Amino acid sequence: MDNSDVYTLAKFCLNLIEHKNSEIKCTDLFFEKSKYINIEIEENSIKNNEIGEDNGVSIRVINKNGALGFAYTNVLNRKAIEKMCNNAIKMMKVGTPDSDFRDLPRVFNNYPVVKDLFDKNLKYLEIEESLNYVDALIKICADDEMAISQSGNFAADYSKTYIFNSNGLNALKKDTSCLISSNIIVKDKLSNDTSSGYERQVERSLKKIDSTKVANLALEDAKRNLNRKKIKSMKIPLLLTPKGTISLILRPIAAAVNAETFQYKRGFLVGKRGQMIGSKFLNIEDNGLIDGAPGSQIFDDEGVPCKNKKIIEMGKFLKSGLLYNSYTAGKDGVESSGNASRSSYSSIPSIGITNFIMKSGNIPYEEIIKDIKEGIMLDYTGDSVNLSTGDFSGLILRGNLINNGEISHPLNETMIGINVMDLFKKIDAVSKEHKVYGAFQAPYVRISSANIIGGAD
Amino acid sequence: MEISDELKAIDESLVKQLNQIAKEKIEYWDIRAEINKGTSIDFTDQKSKAISSFEVIDCGIRTFKNGGWGFSVLKDLNRESIKLGFQKAIKLACLSESLSKLKFKINPTDPIIEKFKNNQKKKLEEIDIEDKINLVKEHEKIASDYSSYVKNTHTIYLDGHSQYLFLNSFGSNVFQDLSFLRLFCMVFTQKNGIVENSLNSVAGIGGYEIVETEKAINLSTKSAEEAVALLNAKSPIGGKFTIIADSKLTGTIIHEAFGHACEADHVLNNESILKDMIGETVASEEVNIIDDPTMGQGSQFNLPYELFGSYFIDDEGIPSQKTIIIENGILKNYIHSLETSSRMNVSPNGHGRASSSSDRPQVRMGFTFLEPKDWNLDEIFEDTKNGILCEDFKYGYTDPTTGNFQFKCKFSFRIQNGEKKEIMRDVSLSGMILEALNKISAIGDQKSFNYSVGICGKGGQGVRVCDGAPYIRLEDVTIGGQD
Repeated sequence: MDNSDVYTLAKFCLNLIEHKNSEIKCTDLFFEKSKYINIEIEENSIKNNEIGEDNGVSIRVINKNGALGFAYTNVLNRKAIEKMCNNAIKMMKVGTPDSDFRDLPRVFNNYPVVKDLFDKNLKYLEIEESLNYVDALIKICADDEMAISQSGNFAADYSKTYIFNSNGLNALKKDTSCLISSNIIVKDKLSNDTSSGYERQVERSLKKIDSTKVANLALEDAKRNLNRKKIKSMKIPLLLTPKGTISLILRPIAAAVNAETFQYKRGFLVGKRGQMIGSKFLNIEDNGLIDGAPGSQIFDDEGVPCKNKKIIEMGKFLKSGLLYNSYTAGKDGVESSGNASRSSYSSIPSIGITNFIMKSGNIPYEEIIKDIKEGIMLDYTGDSVNLSTGDFSGLILRGNLINNGEISHPLNETMIGINVMDLFKKIDAVSKEHKVYGAFQAPYVRISSANIIGGAD
Repeated sequence: MEISDELKAIDESLVKQLNQIAKEKIEYWDIRAEINKGTSIDFTDQKSKAISSFEVIDCGIRTFKNGGWGFSVLKDLNRESIKLGFQKAIKLACLSESLSKLKFKINPTDPIIEKFKNNQKKKLEEIDIEDKINLVKEHEKIASDYSSYVKNTHTIYLDGHSQYLFLNSFGSNVFQDLSFLRLFCMVFTQKNGIVENSLNSVAGIGGYEIVETEKAINLSTKSAEEAVALLNAKSPIGGKFTIIADSKLTGTIIHEAFGHACEADHVLNNESILKDMIGETVASEEVNIIDDPTMGQGSQFNLPYELFGSYFIDDEGIPSQKTIIIENGILKNYIHSLETSSRMNVSPNGHGRASSSSDRPQVRMGFTFLEPKDWNLDEIFEDTKNGILCEDFKYGYTDPTTGNFQFKCKFSFRIQNGEKKEIMRDVSLSGMILEALNKISAIGDQKSFNYSVGICGKGGQGVRVCDGAPYIRLEDVTIGGQD
């Protein structure tokens, strides 16, 4: 189905709603059409080729008291859509009044220009052409003596999003993205020890995908994690790799600056707006306007233009540093920050990040590590920070001891315990280098000291 | 059973045509088509945040040739679309086959031609939306009124009904009419700057009776009670301790740290610590671990409905069945999909499951449990001088290649001279799974056996699961703490 079909259905739908019920204050419609390719490798061999599509629509109707009804379907014909509208109204009628609801977004005359969010090579990509990307992964694993297996995938998708609302908003965008991932298993033939390493790359355009680099990084990661040893409990400096920075700094902050969390007074940053919460090395922004970046958007999932928002500057949590959708913005009497986010047409807009970035410093990574006499490098923990309290107590699934400024053996059964508010204050160096993992961008970060609980007696 | 018109499009004559198209090009195919309808109600602080209704169609066509798979996903059940999707899927399988270095066949299975429908004592579609809303409102009110420390409440009700058709080239034709319901109650409390929360849920396969059991009625009270109790909890001190784990925590450890390592796809991909261990002793002699997702087990727990992790048949046409994983400490079986059982040359055991027809089946657990033994719960406590009682779980994770695991308990209590003492928050325990299975020093009896429900995630898909266990005691477990 093409654009004109969507416009016809949208018009039909909005008309229907307008005449259905005099209680209705506003309505929005979210259409999404997407298609994808996915190639999977298992046991270092191509295993599955997949193509698919998803088309769907959802509707929100809100009455004059603020009660909201929602419905969705992936059957895009008039009969199914009329049923969806009726269901949404039925749901609205049984909803409770909500005096915090203001309005849906108004019409925007200008959307920002963000380049390279759509790559026509991805729109027209055939599965046969995509095979080169996984071949490169397979080669790295096959050519390495210690690598015994690899799983991974290449995926590409193209989507079109249409948003309409009863205030007259009418917005269309096209997005593409592609992903390559590698999980390599290595075995040390002498010690019989095995371990795994993981790496992924997400891009908006195909030409940026570098499978060889991704597989090599996964391989290095796996080898660095071989022959793990337990250590004793101690208090020593901690070096976060970019992945570690994402887990311990960016993800918890992204969740804590969500306006909904704030309005329910739930997160560990509640009551700290305008205050110093970290060292001068803590600088965070949410920037939706970076050309070609995975998290960039022209407008959010309610049709509000995206922006670049400073959140933490030189350790100070800015008063304006919250992420809003239209509902939470209305409740606080401010403008939406353009962070409405839906996982697909099947969900109502919550709040999400665009590109969430910790600013890099000016010291090279080598110099930061050189200064650590004895410390821990944390790359990956399956754990996450307790968002209510900011407490973190997690197992290091991939991490190494640092000895006299050099990376030493990997760690087994080693945990870290720290409160992130304490961690933010103890940041004493940030690297020049940074890495992009999807919507997150992070440097290497050094923490002056952290409590390590080792499994050794 | 009333079959919807859309699914009727996939009939004998279409199958004939598909077999004609597939002839000599591929070795196996299956088609899954489903129509899902449902309701969700989301309340926060006694206000509705979203009340929604959905209807979606999914169709997945899977094809296979000599080690290569093809998969094509559609969102309509039009005969012409299915034929076109089928042709595309054949091309994809042939492409996979031409590139795959790993050659194998799918062993034929007996065709199953059957219709299944779960019982609904109170049919979901006959319950008025207003009744469902009143139920949610009531839970919200109970939680809000529980204590002045309660700051937010959040209740979610989800129900769904699906008509699901499975066909394959071995001649299977299975129609299922399934319904499920889940109810979550989450309560946030605050006192002197401390924020705590507790989440509890009930879920099952059945009708509206799922929310009318005693456990469901008390759901919001339980969440409120726990979230208030946690306000007075102390942070734990890290170190090595003897722990007593309740059935919920033990069940989760069995599922996460051990069950995933028994999934034959992990084994074949060298990602499991249990590779080449069939017939080996992997746990102390007392340990028996089983996966049994067959229907009819709800009554064991006095439930008027089916366990959330149960199913009639898996998503590759294999009936659900009881599989012994560990018997007296010895590893007996892995759990399998059609592919892994064919490659390891064993019978499939019904664990090929997908989160929807748009996803490919993977090797997944159903209802995984540790069998009870003979320790009375009081005996375990009396016999434990000092240690930590760990109850329920928040989340856990495991590195399958090493077996290193960590679990966060919902709440814990210090045990001193066999007595339960002060409550502790955020206790995390970690270890190596094979070592841990050998450090079990007591397994509780049938009376302490219980189950829990959840959605298990793997490779981006979530499927319904249950796990179960009695209380157990574990020696020498590393507990994480902050200072």
